[in-house]
Amino acid sequence: MGINEPFNKEELEDLITKTPARIGIGRAGTRPRTDSWLKFRFDHAAAVDAVYGDVSEVLLKRLDLFKVKTRASDKEVYLRRPDYGRKLSDEAKQMIEAKCIKGPMVQIIISDGLSSKAVEENVEDVYLSFKQSLLRANLDVGTPFYIEKGRVAVMDDVGEILRPKVIVLLIGERPGLVSAESLSAYFCYEPRLGTIEAERMVISNIHKGGIPPVEAGAHLGTVIQKILKYQASGMSLVKKENEEEKSTGSA
Amino acid sequence: MLNKQLERIISAGIDIGTSTTKLVISEFSLMNVAGGGQVPKIEITDKKVLYRSPIFRTPLLSDTVIDIPAVQRIVESEYHHAGITMEKIQTGAVIITGETATKQNAEEMVHQLSKAAGEFLVAAAGPDLEGIIAAKGSGAYQHSIETRKTIANIDIGGGTANIAVYRSGTLCGTCTLHIGGRLMEWEGAEMKVAPSIEQWLKTKGYSPSKENRGIITDEMAKVLARFLDNSYTKEDEQLLVGKVPSWTGRIEGLMFSGGVSDCMYHEELMCTSFQDIGMTLATSIKENKELAYWEWEKPVETIRATVLGAGTHTTEISGATIEVNDSHLPVRNIPVYRIDFQGVLEQGIEGMTKAVQDAITIYDPQREGQNFAFYLTNLPYLSFRDIQLLTFAFTEALKQKPNQQQPLIIVMDSDYGKVLGQTLLASQPDQPVICIDQTQVEHGDYLDIGRLLRSGVVPVVVKTLTFHN
Repeated sequence: MGINEPFNKEELEDLITKTPARIGIGRAGTRPRTDSWLKFRFDHAAAVDAVYGDVSEVLLKRLDLFKVKTRASDKEVYLRRPDYGRKLSDEAKQMIEAKCIKGPMVQIIISDGLSSKAVEENVEDVYLSFKQSLLRANLDVGTPFYIEKGRVAVMDDVGEILRPKVIVLLIGERPGLVSAESLSAYFCYEPRLGTIEAERMVISNIHKGGIPPVEAGAHLGTVIQKILKYQASGMSLVKKENEEEKSTGSA
Repeated sequence: MLNKQLERIISAGIDIGTSTTKLVISEFSLMNVAGGGQVPKIEITDKKVLYRSPIFRTPLLSDTVIDIPAVQRIVESEYHHAGITMEKIQTGAVIITGETATKQNAEEMVHQLSKAAGEFLVAAAGPDLEGIIAAKGSGAYQHSIETRKTIANIDIGGGTANIAVYRSGTLCGTCTLHIGGRLMEWEGAEMKVAPSIEQWLKTKGYSPSKENRGIITDEMAKVLARFLDNSYTKEDEQLLVGKVPSWTGRIEGLMFSGGVSDCMYHEELMCTSFQDIGMTLATSIKENKELAYWEWEKPVETIRATVLGAGTHTTEISGATIEVNDSHLPVRNIPVYRIDFQGVLEQGIEGMTKAVQDAITIYDPQREGQNFAFYLTNLPYLSFRDIQLLTFAFTEALKQKPNQQQPLIIVMDSDYGKVLGQTLLASQPDQPVICIDQTQVEHGDYLDIGRLLRSGVVPVVVKTLTFHN
């Protein structure tokens, strides 16, 4: 707390616990206090680092993931040309074709997206817990791999090559000043070229200060089962669910 | 993910008090309140009272025995009036309050009702829980949240006054006193005095007669005021049930509920039908100068505060990502053993063997297979490897348990229920697991866990099951 003599200390402390926003930080004249200003600069720098950083080879090796690239050749291009991040490079396509099991029930892919830090910090726990829940549900899982400089829709290219029932893409979210390491899990039932965005769905905010990565991983298994049951994702899934509810009259 | 599915469940509340018995049926709406793209978060978003029974006199066979069949008949006929069958009831609580809890067959009553009144959860109250439930039903709890003030709810029934103090929605403490409307009653000229206040009357030198009743109830009001501001005397302590007040700090407002409060606010005008000191006590409280020093807040409910609290405020909802084996639910009266990790995983793991041993010694000393729940609190941030370490420690420690077929029940306040449950199942697929999260309990509490609802959550009732002997 940055306020020296708050009118109601208990109440302010209570409010501060309710939001990660920078409230009750006080001021020095008309400017922020040095502490709050430095903290702000620090968080901003962390966000920039998260965007420009790379996921370490050590992590990829530990999770036994091979690495492929998109058409975005470097970070500057990646940032300016989102469409490049949605397309696999030709080498990537060949490598995936050569190394992966075709037509699995569930295909897991991982990408740095806009935060390599999110992957570095959280992906292992999500991935291991997720794999455990898939194993328990007896679902066959394809060969997982890592896509560098990917965007969400890159899963359509993967869908064309491997033709899985469902793709799950664990990808770093655009960093913010609250967290630079938040991870999202995007799902799509049978993604192919031409898949529209409404068919995708997401579980976001997976990080230490949000949904615990291990718990998120366990939950992802439940989501997959639902997608396979309805053979749909995104808005189509919602529609099918509602139809079923109406026909059973249970709402 | 995106659709806001709604689920409705029916809850029953039954209050069997010293003088009166009543019942309410309510409906809860459950909804996923998390935004799109979030892990679901199910909350009770609305509570609606569908039916309130009339106030019945509590049927007794003698001074010490409850007429169980008569209570059951009341419940059955009220279900019928409410247009509800017992199969529809998914949660709720039976509360046995005041002097009735001291009856010989109070415990049997609760067990009978839990079978006859529906597949719902049952809480038999101790005096603390009674006060807490009444404070929720009267509106005192809510009022303390809205005003951020310290409010004492005083629920005065036939046999006891149950005080619960809330500050901004946090319980500060409870206290129960032998002050009630039916502690002295008469048939014609004959005066009957409850054994619980005989000693106090003797010490005070009051002879219990109809003429003296005003003096006696005036003194009761004074004793109440002294307990509220912590200035009670040794003599006053004779009216204490159990322990002395446990709250600290100043009380800012009072709220009165219960049958005697009904006499104070004249809501149902039924007090005159009782040949007892209820009316006189109400007058004494209203006219007492010390009590007038506090601000008084009008209750939302008077005589039905406890039953409403039982029907609408005892059920909580677990986290939405949990791992439960529904065929082992519901479970009832499960004692809770708390394992405090103090933010360090190793600390919890090291103490695991001893914790299980302790839990068995306390809750299953004869090794008959009485099940219990572990409450994991102050867990640090856990990685998947941490979860595996925890699972390993648990499975090892649990080998001490006499009955291995029993479901392993784990409750935690943090959000790791599903992953821990799944990891336990991965390591021991035959061991049934009930692992729920985002639920707070205390050491020594008892727990009822209901069946899995369509929303993927379970209803939970946390209670202190203490019959005062």
